[in-house]
Parts: sequence; structure tokens; C-alpha cells
Amino acid sequence: MTTVAPELTDKVTDGGAHPLDAVFYPQSVAVCGVVPTPDTVPYDIFRNILDSGFTGTLYPVAPFKRNIHSVRAYRYVVDIPDPVDLAVIVYPANVVDKALAQCGQKGVKAVIVISAGFREVGPKGALREQRIKEICAEHGIAMIGPNCLGVINTDPKSRLNASFARKMPEAGRIGFLSQSGALCTAVLDFARDKAIGFSKFVSFGNKAGVTEVDLLTYLHEDDQTDVILLYLEEITDGRALVEVARRVTRGPNAKPILAMKSGRTPQGARAAASHTGSLAGQDAVADAIFRESGILRVDSIEELFDAAILYAYQPMPEGNRVAIVTNAGGPGVMATDAAVGLGLGVGGFEQNTSEKLKASLPAAANIKNPVDVIGDARSDRYNAALAAVLEDPNVDQALVILTPQSMTDIDAIAEGIIEVHESATKPIVCSFMGAADVASGIQKLQRAHIPHYILPEWACHAMAQVQRIRQWRELPEDRPEALPVDREAAAAILDAAPAGHLPEDQALAVLKAYGLPVPAFLRACSEEEAVACAEEIGYPAVLRLVSREVVHKTEIGGVALDLADADAVRLAFGRMTARFAEARPDAEPVGVLVRGMIASGNEVILGAERDPAFGPVLMFGLGGLYVELFRDVTFAMAPISLARARRMVRDVKAGKLLYGLRGQPPSDIAGVEESLVRLGQLLLDFHRILELDVNPLIARPVEAGGNAVADVGIRLAEAQA
Amino acid sequence: MATVEDRVKVVTGRILGVDPGEIRPEHSFTFDLGAESVQSIELVAAFEVEFGIEMDEDEALAVETVGSAVEFIAKVCREQGVEVEE
Repeated sequence: MTTVAPELTDKVTDGGAHPLDAVFYPQSVAVCGVVPTPDTVPYDIFRNILDSGFTGTLYPVAPFKRNIHSVRAYRYVVDIPDPVDLAVIVYPANVVDKALAQCGQKGVKAVIVISAGFREVGPKGALREQRIKEICAEHGIAMIGPNCLGVINTDPKSRLNASFARKMPEAGRIGFLSQSGALCTAVLDFARDKAIGFSKFVSFGNKAGVTEVDLLTYLHEDDQTDVILLYLEEITDGRALVEVARRVTRGPNAKPILAMKSGRTPQGARAAASHTGSLAGQDAVADAIFRESGILRVDSIEELFDAAILYAYQPMPEGNRVAIVTNAGGPGVMATDAAVGLGLGVGGFEQNTSEKLKASLPAAANIKNPVDVIGDARSDRYNAALAAVLEDPNVDQALVILTPQSMTDIDAIAEGIIEVHESATKPIVCSFMGAADVASGIQKLQRAHIPHYILPEWACHAMAQVQRIRQWRELPEDRPEALPVDREAAAAILDAAPAGHLPEDQALAVLKAYGLPVPAFLRACSEEEAVACAEEIGYPAVLRLVSREVVHKTEIGGVALDLADADAVRLAFGRMTARFAEARPDAEPVGVLVRGMIASGNEVILGAERDPAFGPVLMFGLGGLYVELFRDVTFAMAPISLARARRMVRDVKAGKLLYGLRGQPPSDIAGVEESLVRLGQLLLDFHRILELDVNPLIARPVEAGGNAVADVGIRLAEAQA
Repeated sequence: MATVEDRVKVVTGRILGVDPGEIRPEHSFTFDLGAESVQSIELVAAFEVEFGIEMDEDEALAVETVGSAVEFIAKVCREQGVEVEE
């Protein structure tokens, strides 16, 4: 699903080009609202396009100006005699709608609205933004922005710098998409310092038109881009993002997506009635769902580029085994610790390699992995060691560590690595530890696109990220499966229920219709009815208060366990109703639910809710009273497959309990997995369900009776008319 | 006495380098006449001098078109007891 205006998805431009080609490869650009004053946004954007070597034609639109910087100016975009593919709008926000209406009249295909003063300033700005969205939709114009830095394309076929960044970046294979314009300028400066180049660089601002989903789709097909970096502040259409991410990161023409998402949690302030609601802050949900969509989430700009440069400039390793070559023992051990901790292998070499190392290194050198060429090593030892380890079949990649001793010929070592790299088929990463003395060597490595990291641990992090990319691609395709359920039985209850919390007996009946393991239960409205129900179900019995208005029953004594006989039931019923009347004189109890005691087991929570960005989301983890204290939970977007449910169980510590600890037999894990799939189906089938908690599900071995739902809460929205 | 509109056009023409004869009431200062943000502030100051009035800067800068400026200035003149030909 694309969020580019529907008119655009069907629009065929010259040669059947993609609508966003007008953004990245325009034949002509009009900068609307230019002024002749340097060091202003409008002027600087115009000069940037002019100075970057743009291959097309540039038109400044500046009322009552004959020219801007010697280029003939026009009063309005409609006055330009030639077709205009792209308009860059730099007018103040209050007149952008006029400019866009003229662009529509002119037949402009795409616009970049640099102007601020829209949704980000409040309701008045939001109305303005809605208006410009409508104008663009009416004319089939692709809009980037508003409130953005602009767009850069380093492809020599375009060389477009339609932004107010200070300089055009170097050309490279990395595509960068950002929701923050200010961050973009810092990233460009950071990248320049490290000789990192970009293919396309987009600040998409308020994403009122073109979103990250459209841009990811575009970069997937872009032959100049190998890896995509993404910075997001908010996720508006999480499902579309996940769908495109899965497509981009796997299959033919797969490209990794590395993303930073700032932790704005509008849901944080939401009063959540359910455990799921209170645990499912958007950040936690996004984190889990990103993992399952192929998006590698990182926590810093440094981390973003650390992995990107390794992926973009080095071959993909065939496995996770690293050979470390170092002239200092301590950093070599630190690197080994970091590598192993991150899931990389630091194994041994074959005999042939050991012999080569022995022949080329002094007796004091360590020829096992990590290879220590010792402190007085010069480039000859480094070259020999690196070449030998790269040829070893037990090695997939090499990490070269250097500490600057007085005799270390840093530049020569860098040049040697570059020379080895030219014929290497395995990736090489470096860590020249230090700053001043190693600066020129580092520069040489960066210019040759050999990834460099100040600390070996950072190099290991980057290598581990690339492993995740490789492992993600090797995961089998995951197709959610629909299990047989009694939809009609659930509908009979849910369609008739008012908004708010469903009484427990009805909620259990809904779960039972969807195949969850619900123990037998009956409802009673009086003391004698409760006894009759207990006699029928069997002792020991459990009474649970049923009231639409009470969600957490334990807190008001609304649960009585282990009732051995009729007298115990009578006593419990009396106490429960008295306590309820005292605690909630305003609420009306509906009665009590009677069931048998469930034998003890592992308490897990299965939850579901409708996330504003991702839609129906499932939760699984350690359950019980302290679920919000321990927060040992994970999330997935419904619908899920059994394989995905299996991964959810494994992702949390609670999963280990289910597999059996200290000689305990395993629980019915397959049953838990199936229950998760079924809950996902329930949430997709019934849109009125806002939140759902099964807490706890008592997970037990199959031979001990299997799993049982001990408590459930379902909250419904108003019925649609 | 020249009207408020005529005087607004003369001042605008002077600040923005535009022939007053080409200025229309429906023209936006930025979109149609090319005013930069610093010129918008200059215009406010120039109108104050021309009419001998004091305007609230935020309110004045929120005025978008020549016609709205004429109305706004006329209103301020009335409030401040400055005689003008409307």
C-alpha cells in the first residue's frame, strides 16, 4: 500500500516514469519565492541548485525581480514558458496554497515545500496543511514536506541539491530519509568528515504527502542505493511501513533498512485500563515489530552509520566468524569479548594458516585468534597476518586493530590494508585506536571506503548488525494462518454488548468460541445458585465477582479460591458481595462466576490491543499480578503465524519457564502459540474489541491437563451505526 | 488628501521597489509583490511613520494583502484619532 496520492499511482509520466522521478530526476526546477538576499533559506536553496551542477534547467520565481543571481526570474510559476517538473516552494506558509494552486495550473508534477508553519505549529497550521494536501491531491502533485530541509540526489544524471544544507555531499551508495531537517544537516557534516557518500538524501518533514513508505519503495528500485537509513519521529501507518520494509529487506534486490526512531510516546499519557494497554507504549511495540519486519533499529546516528558503511562498502560475509589481527593484546581480548558477546565467532585457524603466520611473525607473536603481531609490528607483519587469515576457510571477515607505538608505521599499515582489500572477497574492518597520531591513517582508510571504528567494540557491533541482516534474509517466509473458530458464537455476544468492559462470563464465552482453553464455568446470581453451580462443576470451587465496572477484581476481594464445600461457597459469596457493596456502592454487581480450581502452573499473559500506528497488536510475556513490574513482554502485529508465535515465546524470559526449568516438565507451548494466533484472529474479526487481556493463562504440561484461562478482560468500543 | 489606499501603495512601492500603479488590493505582499520577511518589518515601520500611528507588531505582521493592510491601518487611525481620507 502506498500513501502517494491515488492519482499518482496510476499516473504515467513520460516513458512510464515513477511519480517520484519528478522529485529526484526533474528536467526543470522552479524555486518559488526566491529572494535576492544571501544567507536566507530561499536564496540559499536557489544557489545550492545552481552550484551543485544540476543537469536540468532552473527557474527562479521572484515577483518584481528581473533576475536572481543573473538567472532570469519570473513573477509567477505560470509565467514560465517551459514545462516545470519540480517546484521548490519557499514562500511563507500563509501563501503556499496559492503557490500550489498555480503549480497545479502549470502542470508541475512534484513539489518540495520547504516552508514551516503547518501542523507543527498547532491547529491553525494543521488546517493550512490539510488545505495544501487537498490541492496537491486535486492536481496529482507529489508533495515532499512541508517543513523540510529538501532533497539531494548525487546521481551524476541529476546532481540536484534542492535543500538548504551547506554543501552537496559526496556521491555514495547510502540513501538517507529523515523526518527531522535539523538532524539532516548534522548528519551531512558528520558524513563528510568520514568520507561517507549518499545516493539520495531526503528530509520529508511533516510528510503531508509523500511519506517514508513511498520513499522506501522508491529507493528499493533505485540502482544507486544499496542501503537505506531512516530517521523517524512518528509512525502514522505502521502496517504499510512493515509491509514495505519486509518487501525491501528480503527477496530479490534486498536492501537493508537501518532506522532510528525517537521515543515520543503519545500513548504514554493515555489512561490504559488493561495490562496490555499500559505496557504497550508505542516505542516498545515499534521495537518488537521493527525486528519482525527487517528494520534494524539503532540508538544513535553513530550506530546508524557504523553498520551502513560496513554493509555498503564491504562484501556480505558468508558467516559470523571473525579473525582479529592486533598489535596489542589487551584490545585484542576486549574485541574478542565483544565479538563473542554479540554472537560472532572467534574460532581457530586451520593448520595451513597457522604455519603461514608462524613463518611471517616473530616467536613472541600469538598466532591463534586473536592474532597478536606484537607492539613493534610494522606494515610487513600486518600485511602478512591479514592476508593469511583472510585465506583461511574458517574466517568470514577480519578486524584489524592498531595502537600507535613509536615504531608503528601507521600510514604504511593503512596502505597495506587497502592493498589487501583490493583483492579480498571477505570484509575487512579496522580500529586504529587513538585520535591525533592515527588521524592520517584513518583518513586513508575512509577514502578507500574501508570501515573504521574508534573502538574495536564498535566494529564488533557493526559486524553483528550485518549478521542480523544476513540472518533476516535467511529466515523462511512467514505466512499467518487462519485457524478454525466459531465466529458466529462470538458475534452473538459481541454484537449485542454495550461499549465498555464485557462481563467475565461473556468474555470467557468469546474466548471459548475462538478455541482458547477456557475451563468450565457457570454464572450465579444468589448464594444458593452459587452452591448449585459449585456442586455441578465440582470442588474445590472458585468464585469470581462479575461486574461490568470492576476490572481488577482481586483489589476489592472479588475472587475467592479453593472453596472446599457448600458452606465455604456460601461464606465466600456473602463476604464478596458485602465487600463489593462497601467498595463500590455506585456499581451494580451482575453476580458471580463459578468454576473449578485450576491447578498451578506458569502464569503468562496474552494480550491484544489496537495500536494507533500498527493496528491490532498482540502481546505475550510473564503474567500474573506483577506483570507491569517485571515487563517481560514482547509484541507482534496481528495476524501472526504459528512460527511467529513461537518466536514471541522465545523472545521473553517467561518463555524459558514454559520450556521447563530445574527438571520441571515443559508446558503446553504449542497450545500457548496457538492461543496467540487465535487471539490475533479475534481482534481482526471484531473491530469493536479495543483491548483484551488474558492474565493469567496458566500454562501447564499437556499430561497435567494443559493450559487454562484463569482471567480475561475485554473492552469494547461503541457499536458502529 | 490622498486616500489610505493610495498612500499604502506608495509606501509599499518604495519599500519593495515596485511601481505603485501595479499594486492591487488583492495582492499578497509576499506572493504577489515579493516581500521578504525583513521587508515586512520595514513596511510596518514605514506605515507607522507615514500615518503617524503605532501598530501592534504581531497584528500588523499578520496582515497578508494590500487591501487588508488598508483596512487595518484605517481602523488604527480611527482608534488613535488620526484623520485620513478613506
